[in-house]
Order: sequence, then structure tokens, then C-alpha cells
Amino acid sequence: MNGDARGWRVALVPDALLNLRERDRAALPDVLSILTACGYGVMQLPPPGEHGLLLAAIADQVAEYAHHGYGVVAIGVRGEPGGGLHWRRLAALLRHRSVAPPPRHLIRPEAGAATEAERVTVFLSGHDVPLEEQRRWRM
Amino acid sequence: MTTKHPIAGEHAPRKVALIANCLLNQNAKVCDGARYRGVVSPVVEALRSRGYELQQLPCPELAFAGVRRWWAVYEQYDTPAYHAHCRRLAQAFAPLIEQYLRHGDEVILIGLDGSPSSGVRFTSSQPDWGGRPNRPEDDWEIVPRRGVWIEELEAELARRGLPPVPATGWALDMGRLDEAGSRRDLEEFLDSREIAADPRRDDSAP
Repeated sequence: MNGDARGWRVALVPDALLNLRERDRAALPDVLSILTACGYGVMQLPPPGEHGLLLAAIADQVAEYAHHGYGVVAIGVRGEPGGGLHWRRLAALLRHRSVAPPPRHLIRPEAGAATEAERVTVFLSGHDVPLEEQRRWRM
Repeated sequence: MTTKHPIAGEHAPRKVALIANCLLNQNAKVCDGARYRGVVSPVVEALRSRGYELQQLPCPELAFAGVRRWWAVYEQYDTPAYHAHCRRLAQAFAPLIEQYLRHGDEVILIGLDGSPSSGVRFTSSQPDWGGRPNRPEDDWEIVPRRGVWIEELEAELARRGLPPVPATGWALDMGRLDEAGSRRDLEEFLDSREIAADPRRDDSAP
């Protein structure tokens, strides 16, 4: 893939983290800027509610990444149902597609945005698929 | 703006930008098509700095033909099966858009110009593409029409009796990427909406 700039890493992110409300700015880090700096692509999970068909479509896309050498992670928010990631539903949909639920990092709002920005950066920087799998897919 | 009927007590009207999947995730592109590692930051910056929330659309091509799909033009995706796939995705996604519109939120759409699926102002066309993928680079035509996915999404919104969503495209699939030009183009689209919506601007005033 000459000239292709993809970073081969994708993060599942809740709507509440991608679109920070003003009142949450002291508690939650700007995850989108951190993901951009770390070279991750974003898959946005919908806000709370019934989104069965949409979650199935998201699971289809995650399965494609997971089966072809992409590093997939999930960033959730502690205290939100399912981390804000519709986790139970999503994990079941992924298992149905022979994909293990991706590693999940939970933001702790009580720790404050600055601390959590550092923690999530360390998590994201340290994650990738094993070298052997990288060599197999990433030419 | 005067026709909005926000549900009382829910929230103040928001500005929501529906954006093509790969504008937040370049890993969704076909091989050789990614121009950024992940997030297309100029698009995100232009939208966020103007107060837009982001709502990422699904990638119909990725969910249909996978991450290792070949490049394709509009005509190759203009099939009953792909239209049906896009229609199903539109039916899955439209309730979110409907929710925004019924709350009185301002909703816009930023697609991907030149894309056979997500093109808004332009898509790629070459009626005789097919068979062995050995075409020289860039021998497709850019034609002014929607991609298949945007066609089906807009049709689904219309079926629900919703108004058309103002739309433009980031010119990522038009051959050579002109980032500065694309940014200017997007900012002009966004700023023209600000001017039109500004209540202080009253042309009838003496």
C-alpha cells in the first residue's frame, strides 16, 4: 500500500466522549484529540437508546477490522451503562461474528480530565496487535 | 428556523453534523485511499470550532465488501443488492437523524466527494469498469451526482417525511487531494449557513 497513510488502529468511542458537553469538560478528557494525535480512527457508538440494527452494522465493521490485522480497542466511561458503549449488546454481536470483545479502557470521571487524558494516552500508545499479525496484513 | 418545534425541556437546539464514516476513520478506505492515519483533522476542526456535534455515518462499503475490497466506481455499486444493503443501513440510522430533527436541532451532512457511495456533489463514474482490476490510475470521470449510499439515505429521510438535510462533501476521492482547497470549500459552506441563520442580519431593515 504505497502512499496509504492508514494507522491500522481503531477505537470504539461513546457519543458522550466524542461530543463532550460543556458540563463534562472538567471530568472527561478530549478523547477525540488524543485519538487523532495517537493515529487512531474512530468508530462512534450511538447515544443511549435502542439501536439494534445500527449496532449490528457497527459489529459487522468491527469484525472486518478484527479479522484483518487492525488493532481495535474500546474507550468507555465508568458509571455509564455499558460504559456508554452498549457493551453487553455489542459484545454479543461480536461473539456472533467470531470476534472477541476488544480491550476496553474506562475513563474515571472522578479522577479529572487531566489525569484521565494521561491514562488513556498510555493505554492507546501501548496497544496493537502482535507483530506476527502486523507482518501478515500490513504490507 | 421558525418552523422548529423543540420538545420542551429536552435540550436547547444543537448543531449536528452527520459525517461520512472515513472522515473519522481512514482505515475504512480502500487500499491506497487513506490520506490520514485515522481522523481527518481539518474536517473535525472546522466543525468543532463552529459548535457542531459529530454524528458518524456507517461505512456501507466496508460492511458490504470488506476492508480488502477493490476500488470501484458508481456503476459497479449501482446494483439491486448494494442498493438494498444501503437502504437497510439507512433504515437503521434514520431514527437518530429523525430524533435530532424533531428536537429542532440543526442537522447538516458532510459526505465524501468523488466516492461511489458517500459522494454528495460528485461521484466517480466509468461505465466500462469491471473484470480484472488492472485499470491505470485515475481513468474514471467525476460526475455531479450523489453516491449510492447518500441517495438511499436521503430517500429514507424523505420516506419519513423529513426535510432534506443541507449537504456538502469533503473532496477526498477526486484524484489529487487539495487539502487547503477542500478546507476553504467546507468553511465557506459552514460560514454561509452561519450568515443565513444570523438573526441580526435583516435585509429588510432600512
